[in-house]
Amino acid sequence: MPRKGCLGCSFPVLVLLILVLLALFIVGFLSGPLGKSMFGDLGLPFGTVQPEPKLPAETVFHLFGFPIANSVIGAWITIIFLVVFSYVVTRRMKMVPGRLQGVFESLLGWLYNFCKNVAGEEKGRLFFPVVATIFLFVAFNAWLSLIPGFGSIEIINPEGHHVHLLRGANTDVNMPLALALASFIFVELFGLRTLGIRYLTKFFNAGPFFKSLGQILRGKVRDGFSGMITGFIHIFVGILEALSEMVRIVSFTFRLFGNMTAGEILLLIAIFLVPWLFALPFYGLELLVGFVQALIFGGLTLVFLTLATAHHGE
Amino acid sequence: MSRWVAALRLTGVGFFIGISIVGGVVVGLWVDSKLGTSPVLVIVGLILGVILAVYGVYQMLLPLLVSKRNKEKN
Repeated sequence: MPRKGCLGCSFPVLVLLILVLLALFIVGFLSGPLGKSMFGDLGLPFGTVQPEPKLPAETVFHLFGFPIANSVIGAWITIIFLVVFSYVVTRRMKMVPGRLQGVFESLLGWLYNFCKNVAGEEKGRLFFPVVATIFLFVAFNAWLSLIPGFGSIEIINPEGHHVHLLRGANTDVNMPLALALASFIFVELFGLRTLGIRYLTKFFNAGPFFKSLGQILRGKVRDGFSGMITGFIHIFVGILEALSEMVRIVSFTFRLFGNMTAGEILLLIAIFLVPWLFALPFYGLELLVGFVQALIFGGLTLVFLTLATAHHGE
Repeated sequence: MSRWVAALRLTGVGFFIGISIVGGVVVGLWVDSKLGTSPVLVIVGLILGVILAVYGVYQMLLPLLVSKRNKEKN
């Protein structure tokens, strides 16, 4: 049996691997603009063209009069991937799971426990579908857009422009906004369903104000006026609550959009400056960022769902 | 439970402060340009934005403060 070296490779293979990677890195460095500015143009034929990141998504084609942007196609691919993947995983479920089923079960099990930890046993069960859907969509969309082909395949659209065929859905501000609105609607719906009309007193609490008005009319002027100030404060806090819901939608949108777009531009610039190997650590970073953003988006939705359905004073 | 909730809410503190103050100013500027009351409503928007930021941050920090107080009591 051959002697095991590091990382499951024997020693000579490892040395060869490191040498090849080092050579790739040096050739990449010398052929990129960073190396060229330091050592001059050595005539290596491996340079890349300067990337031109575009903020608005480009329209690929029109469907029934609606413009279909490349980010929409990216979203469709994510949805199709998730549906097909779920079908393949759950087609032949076994009591003792295979490798694929095991991975997916542990991911969903972890998410389920996370929901139950934050929201409690009963509400965790209720919120899990919403949170898991958002998490899976954001995470898989981020990971799928790291696959080569996303952002590099170009086609000519019916108007005759060169456009990219695919683009990560969350690098277009419309998709994060849609997700944030969906999350907002779910929060309000669950709040209304659990607390009924009382939920709205969070945003418009004029009860104490009218109570003190009644006190003034009944002759208790002093108590009435001090109660009235508290009533005003309650109404003002209600307005602040409503405004902070709006701010939350914007902050959800721009956090996701900013992180995803910045990641994409970072990769483009890294590949442009030093072609080939240099971008590899950034790919790893982007895998992590996709996961963290999905966790934050799903987790914050879960937290706000929990807060919206909590009874006052709980 | 509360640790997760507090940690997740804290991720939004920076965004919340920025967006509420900038949002207040932008809305103030917009209404000012419509009504021609410059610069009154920008200042009102700024003040409202700052109040909203302070209120929001207080709400986000509340779970942490409460849990710390409970710990001290125990």
